Amino acid sequence: MRTIVCLKVVPRPEEVRVNLEAKTLERSGVRSVINPADLNALEIALALRDRHGGRVTVLSMGPPSFEPYLRVALAVGADEAVLLSDRAFGGADTLATSYTLAEGVRTLGGADLVVCGEESSDGGTSQVPQGIAEWLGFSQATYVDSLEVPVVGTLRARRVLEDGTETLELPLPAVVSVLGGANEVRFIDYDRWSMAQQASVRVIDAAALGADPAALGLKGSPTVVAGLREVRKPGRRREVLTLAPEAAAARLAEELRRLGVAHA
Amino acid sequence: MTAAGAVWVYAERHGESFRPVSLEILGHARSLASELGAPLVALTVGSGEGAANELARYGADEVVAVDHPLLVRYDTKLFTDLLEHELRDADPSVLLLGATRDGQDLAGRIAVRLRTGLTAHVTSLEVNAEKHLVGWVPGFGGGIEAGVVCPNRRPAIVTVRPGVFVAPTPQSIPGAVRFVRPPIDDRAFGTRRVAFELKGTSVDLTRSEVLVVGGRGTDGDFARLQRLAHLIGAEVGATRVATDSGWVERERMIGQTGVVTRPKVAVILGASGAVQFTVGIEKAGFVIAVNRDPDAPIFESADLGVVGDLAPIVDRLVKDLAEA
Amino acid sequence: MLPSESKPLVWNDELWDDLCRTTDAAACFQCGSCTATCPLAERGTLNIRQLIRLGAFGDGAPGLWSCTTCAQCNVGCPRGVDVVEVVRHLRARGWKRNDVPAGLRPLLWAEFQDGNPYRLPPSQRAAWMRGLSGAETGTSEGASTVLYVGCTASYDPRAQRTARALARVLAAAEVPFRILGDKEVCCGETPRALGVDGLFRDLSSRNAETLRSVGATRVVTISPHCFDALKDGLGDQVEVVHYSQLLDELLSGGKLKLSGYRPGVLTYHDPCYLGRQHGVYEPPRRLLESAGAKIVEMPRSRRWALCCGGGGGNMWRESTGEVRLADQRVAEARDTGATVLATACPFCVTCFSGAQTPGRGHLDIVDVAEVVARAAGVPV
Repeated sequence: MRTIVCLKVVPRPEEVRVNLEAKTLERSGVRSVINPADLNALEIALALRDRHGGRVTVLSMGPPSFEPYLRVALAVGADEAVLLSDRAFGGADTLATSYTLAEGVRTLGGADLVVCGEESSDGGTSQVPQGIAEWLGFSQATYVDSLEVPVVGTLRARRVLEDGTETLELPLPAVVSVLGGANEVRFIDYDRWSMAQQASVRVIDAAALGADPAALGLKGSPTVVAGLREVRKPGRRREVLTLAPEAAAARLAEELRRLGVAHA
Repeated sequence: MTAAGAVWVYAERHGESFRPVSLEILGHARSLASELGAPLVALTVGSGEGAANELARYGADEVVAVDHPLLVRYDTKLFTDLLEHELRDADPSVLLLGATRDGQDLAGRIAVRLRTGLTAHVTSLEVNAEKHLVGWVPGFGGGIEAGVVCPNRRPAIVTVRPGVFVAPTPQSIPGAVRFVRPPIDDRAFGTRRVAFELKGTSVDLTRSEVLVVGGRGTDGDFARLQRLAHLIGAEVGATRVATDSGWVERERMIGQTGVVTRPKVAVILGASGAVQFTVGIEKAGFVIAVNRDPDAPIFESADLGVVGDLAPIVDRLVKDLAEA
Repeated sequence: MLPSESKPLVWNDELWDDLCRTTDAAACFQCGSCTATCPLAERGTLNIRQLIRLGAFGDGAPGLWSCTTCAQCNVGCPRGVDVVEVVRHLRARGWKRNDVPAGLRPLLWAEFQDGNPYRLPPSQRAAWMRGLSGAETGTSEGASTVLYVGCTASYDPRAQRTARALARVLAAAEVPFRILGDKEVCCGETPRALGVDGLFRDLSSRNAETLRSVGATRVVTISPHCFDALKDGLGDQVEVVHYSQLLDELLSGGKLKLSGYRPGVLTYHDPCYLGRQHGVYEPPRRLLESAGAKIVEMPRSRRWALCCGGGGGNMWRESTGEVRLADQRVAEARDTGATVLATACPFCVTCFSGAQTPGRGHLDIVDVAEVVARAAGVPV
């Protein structure tokens, strides 16, 4: 079974900074991590490979600085790493991003299964996996915490919904978005580390992708950031009082009423 | 025929009614539609006549109810196809959906089907001077929000999280309801549902809006905490020390090796506030802490802290709240 | 005895050869001295002798992950086998098979990505310095001594107090030092104890790079675990000492003046990674006595000190035994009649502070650095 795992490298949430001029996220000087839910997606793909064999490719769209992170995925167990990288891909919103990744899947010769983390922690729209599915005409299952292939060509996916879980059967090829925290991600196999550092990461630029240039990057993005504003985000107040039980209780009751939880 | 340029709201079916978020959006959409000088339409799929008529009382000028006996559950392919048909036909300028699991499943697909823009998880929605819808999204760090517009494609699709807006009160005079009966059969579905398990009543602290959490200082008396929890609609959580001591079930353990919660209010009683615990409550809206030790680190992670013995304080608090 | 219903175990030459190649396991003649002295053996949690034996059969033995790496077993082994190394190697096999207890994978990812086991931001690593000023903040120009704070003292509020106390003492003693700030990453001791040597080496080399870039010639640690790991990873490049050794040196050199603090009757717990594993028994005791403490020793002290239970990755796991080691140790401390239990390791402080001993009097858990700080007249 051929599986492609879409991986995104995101700035650490607490280090996220916005480039006020470009109105995009600042990346230089900011520590980054592999989007946590994408690791859960990688784990689900590797677990499927353990059971059914096949190949797992990690695919990412971003600048060359994403490469070391793709190598981490190789060290964890992925067979191959591919980076879609070109200035032309930059500034993409969810439509253009999902288009570019879908074209990446096509360029790689397609897949039986495309797995993504449900959402990325930087401006995560939770929409890219669905977009990829639509561009490719694949079936889809979102917010999945477990996958099985009961019979060739069919995927059984368990979705976690607000009220409970639903298990669906859908035909392959499919795109699946995996819930963050859905599984414990196997750790790096250090016996693979030097192989991973020396492996060649295939880089595909816009020309090699052969996609419609009007649908890429900023040009292909119907949504734009029109403005930025500050939101007051309070830290902890740290108000500490030493009171006798009656006064303490009265103060706490007052606060609980103010917070609307005291139903009084 | 539904007017072009309208504001459409997708009302997601939930049992015999609708997801609260859909009604919340409908409430806010009323004012957006007025500002845009456009009609407001609520679209629902598979909700049945009764619910569709009920939906019409929540502010929409018109309800488009796509209905069929087979439409008993959400299916990506089917719903996307049905929505595409209605949207191409009506050509609205805006489509708003609740950012529920199925809502997002659908939104992402229909946006690409229509080759249009999608702004997700907005925390506010406004109409700007150019009469464009602006969706404000957080997550840019340092308390910065970005205002996103979709000026050149329609409909501009926006998803909104539950709790951002407030549901309107139903009106006595409902809008019009137009039923659409699509000619579908089993083959219209893209998936087969093989199982559905309703969540049991087991403890899920991640969904709790109010938490009362006990640590070592409770000396094992969680009954006291339960009394308080009951009065403020809270679930009871615990620190590692408390669950290790067998005072409460492990499922209630909050912290790095337990559950990470994001309640609106957390009341932390008798917990010192070690970092392995506080990572489980740092996303809380408002944190109240009571501890005997004035140097307890929990006070660094609290909005309101009280130094004192928790037993007499909680007993008194329970009395105060119960009497009110 | 194995139940008769279980499958027969098959000796695996490859596994045994591998174990003998990488550890001293070949020297083991199954005498059981290790099990006799292992603190977890009393609880039936772990049979270390059997663990070595089962290393030839491939399957992980029960209790493999409960081992705290206290190394009490190494003290008694008549063949000089490094038993802890065998445990680490068997754990490494578990990782290779992706067969490890829940909770450990996320722990390693945190170490790898965040540089600390708490999943807390690297940018907040220096937050412990709140309230410090001047020389206390470790920005002395050209200082070649680095105070390596460690993850626990950097992030855990209780341990942060120890870090601040030590920084103030060093400043008061006019010892120029630097800190690495948010460039410091975990020493890697926990990954090493868990059998993931690759991560330990990765973290070591990151710290080595940073230490090189600031021209460090000496590193002082707060935690004995960091002391051991940095010595192991970097001992050939820099001098690594535990703070108790440095303060003891300052004391005997007249650079540290302690007086006036009478912490009363006190007992001292030898941390495994300072005492038994490195023989550092006297410096902390000298410091405590100079501060005015009257030390009453627990029966199990120095080489025979009972582990607090925090090592070997167990700080991040739920305890499986009925009685936690920390509870037992705290009871032993109380039995001496002491009102203060002093130690020199943030893990021990955490474990003891969380120990359950209902119905007994209050026992102050303190770090030696805090006692020294009080006696040196600096704020704690």
